[in-house]
Amino acid sequence: MEPIIRMTNIEKHFGSVIALAGVTVEIFPGECHCLLGDNGAGKSTFIKTMSGVHKPTAGEIIFEGQPLQFADPRDAISAGIATVYQDLAMIPLMSVSRNFFMGNEPIRKRAGLRFFDHDYANEVTMTEMRKMGINLRGPDQAVGTLSGGERQTVAIARAVHFGAKVLILDEPTSALGVRQTANVLATVDKVRKQGIAVVFITHNVRHAMAVGDRFTVLNRGKTLGTAVRGEITPEELQDMMAGGQEMATLEGSLGGTV
Amino acid sequence: MSDAAINDERIKEMSPLRRALIRPELGGMVGTVAVFTFFLLFAFDSGMFNAQGVMNWSVVSAQFMIIAVGACLLMIAGEFDLSVGSMIGFAGMMIAIFGVTLGWPMWLAIVTTFAICIAFGALNGYIVVRTGLPSFIVTLATLFILRGFTIFIPQTAERKTIIGGIREAAEGDWLAPLFGAKIGGPIFQWLGDMGVIGVFTRGNRAGEPVVDGIPMLMIWAIALVIFGHVLLTRTRFGNWIFAAGGDAQAARYTGVPVDRVKIQMFMFTAFCATVFAVCQVMEFGSAGADRGLLKEFEAIIAVVIGGALLTGGYGSVIGAALGALIFGVVQQGLFFANVESSLFRVFLGVILLLAVILNTYIRRLITGER
Amino acid sequence: MTSKMKNLLLAATVIATPFMTATTAAAEGERYILVSHAPDSDSWWNTIKNGIALAGDQLDVEVEYRNPPTGDLADMARIIEQAAASQPDGIITTLADYDVLAGPIKAAVDQGINVIIMNSGTPEQTREVGALMFVGQPEYDAGYAAGLRAKGDGIGSFVCVNHVISNTVVAERCRGFADGLGVDLGDSMIDSGQDPAEIKNRVTAYLTANPETDAILTLGPTSADPTILAVEEMGIAGDIYFGTFDLGTEIVNGIKAGTIQWGIDQQPFLQAYLPVVVLANYDRYGVLPGNNINSGPGFVTADGLEKVEEFAGEYR
Repeated sequence: MEPIIRMTNIEKHFGSVIALAGVTVEIFPGECHCLLGDNGAGKSTFIKTMSGVHKPTAGEIIFEGQPLQFADPRDAISAGIATVYQDLAMIPLMSVSRNFFMGNEPIRKRAGLRFFDHDYANEVTMTEMRKMGINLRGPDQAVGTLSGGERQTVAIARAVHFGAKVLILDEPTSALGVRQTANVLATVDKVRKQGIAVVFITHNVRHAMAVGDRFTVLNRGKTLGTAVRGEITPEELQDMMAGGQEMATLEGSLGGTV
Repeated sequence: MSDAAINDERIKEMSPLRRALIRPELGGMVGTVAVFTFFLLFAFDSGMFNAQGVMNWSVVSAQFMIIAVGACLLMIAGEFDLSVGSMIGFAGMMIAIFGVTLGWPMWLAIVTTFAICIAFGALNGYIVVRTGLPSFIVTLATLFILRGFTIFIPQTAERKTIIGGIREAAEGDWLAPLFGAKIGGPIFQWLGDMGVIGVFTRGNRAGEPVVDGIPMLMIWAIALVIFGHVLLTRTRFGNWIFAAGGDAQAARYTGVPVDRVKIQMFMFTAFCATVFAVCQVMEFGSAGADRGLLKEFEAIIAVVIGGALLTGGYGSVIGAALGALIFGVVQQGLFFANVESSLFRVFLGVILLLAVILNTYIRRLITGER
Repeated sequence: MTSKMKNLLLAATVIATPFMTATTAAAEGERYILVSHAPDSDSWWNTIKNGIALAGDQLDVEVEYRNPPTGDLADMARIIEQAAASQPDGIITTLADYDVLAGPIKAAVDQGINVIIMNSGTPEQTREVGALMFVGQPEYDAGYAAGLRAKGDGIGSFVCVNHVISNTVVAERCRGFADGLGVDLGDSMIDSGQDPAEIKNRVTAYLTANPETDAILTLGPTSADPTILAVEEMGIAGDIYFGTFDLGTEIVNGIKAGTIQWGIDQQPFLQAYLPVVVLANYDRYGVLPGNNINSGPGFVTADGLEKVEEFAGEYR
């Protein structure tokens, strides 16, 4: 199978700071690819490069077999690369249906003028939300009344509905409780089964192990290789994230629960 | 939602009352009813509700509406414009300078003034989105700059700060009546003849009705309110306005051109201020350096009474229009009720405070914050 | 929520009640409304308020004072329209800007409401709008008289401190003064604004930049009071020739101290008191004086300050 997106030797420098020093990753359709790394490992820079926010200083991005140049995030979105940011996904004061179609509003022409097609938007929102297992009071319910997990789910459903081929999730579970995390992970599983490539960014090894098919660890702007599910233990992943040695001693005293 | 099979026990059904409460217009509607009840009780036979009195507070309310529509959309988009009042003075003065001092045809003076003022609005917006400074500060600067020009230019050009003769200069012009004319004259004449409304009893207008038409100012107000309401609730751009004010970063991530939306809203606010100014100079025939003082706050107050949140992302044009109506009726009505005029500010403060408290409460209802 | 709303409405009613009771106890006489152009901050108009109140008491008529809070003349036009809509027996108003105010005043006159122009305006404009008469001080003439007087005292240059730059009528005082002196007004008029500290600083700045200035002319207490402080601070009080329009407590003290040479009293009390008297007698007996009434100018100098001092800021 061909990877849907292949990033080779990506480097990104901000002035004298080297944020990414040669990162290579391949992502396949229908897989959940976990990108692990500690704070400051370069995860954010990497996903921003993938989603068109940053241009790489060096390296090559191949998307569906073509070399890729994004001018801005809109290009990435229209190409099918969607990003769901942790706390910037939704606007609390706006209704679910307005949020769902934000930036992609359906248009109905009436008397030559272009109007927002609320009927269509409401119907689609309700259907999509039901598919994801969220029951809304109505499409006009404000996002502010949803839980954090539900908001992530709405954002994911939105990206999928608008034809995402690659879905990048930036720490979707880091601020959530146990039950909400489970809901989000279940959503990720549903999305993967639709043949969409999911890039799951996290620093929580257990969340990664729950849904990941393959795991790439970033450390100090470099990849330490990609492992396939079943070939690596949570402890090994944890070690790689922390950069090896010093973690080993801590691990013992914490009983392997970090 | 009709599908009973998927009821979730965690979601309580909302009572119809609660549902009604989270409409942004609610405060404005309650306020409008309260204000009219109040004045019907205390000022019914004072002349406030005869034709002339109704026209008086309607015109004042319409003035507020024109600037409130712009301020409302801008506030929902997450920004303020404090230069509205100065813009009114400036626009009026530009018309006088072009149309009277320089003797241009009035339509050209009006078009040029609109262009200059909208350009200033665009500049406001551009500076705000490029620097990331609070619009409060940027437009405060514009407030002083424009007011300064409004005093300096006529003093330099004409050695005075009030320039008259605009009505005469506008005579026969094709564009000026769009702002200064009154419509429905024959209907009012008929109403006057029928004795429904009062007529002049002496002078060269004897026999004419005391209210001789609906000023274009009111037509503009209604048109702008309808336009703003449709734009906000029924178009893609309206969704972008909510999104830009609700959370600019989140909006950008989904591809909403936030900067463009904000700049265009600043331009629209400037457009509304200019409409206000042109209607005013066409009616009064002169432009003065002190026109429009404090109007920016009056616009913002009307918008807040109408249920918009100062923090952006939430509000309604209909609400703002009702806020303007309340403002106008209270301001003029207190006079009819024979209340000492200095107490107007006390009333205004109380209303504003009540409105803001109510809004905060509504916001908690919507977002479920505690 | 419902109970909360009820409480809010109740609170509003409670707050509103005292105002309402105050208004329902109005007298049953004729009703006259005085509309001024002055913003709330202009203290000089206090004498006007006292003047109409006294006339109202003495003649047993109902009087009201209205003004645009910010001094915006377009707002003033609305107030006149509103006054007409409430059908009073008479309106007393200033004519600060003919273009803006003539329409509403004419409309009031045509509805059968008697109008008297006070304070600002000219006899010609008064006739144009159909008002009964003008009570006030012809501003250009007063300025011209003051200019002649200053010229006689050997003055050749001056600065005019204008705190109401938007009022064209008041600016006539400066023009008259310049013509009386026989000099060109030029840049001698400064826009001081309404804030005392700003006025003081602008006067200081002007006098520092133009040390050869012979005289200061202020146009009312709003600009005179801070200017007194400015000249005292600069150490030129008494040296620089200082004349002012209108009176007030500080101006009277200034005249007594020798800081101010003269004050031109336009006697605002009369501008408020006389129109009420004229209107009431016209309504009751149909009698009307045959001409405009000049309430000023009267020069007030250090001689004979007693009465002025006693009633300054109240009736003078």
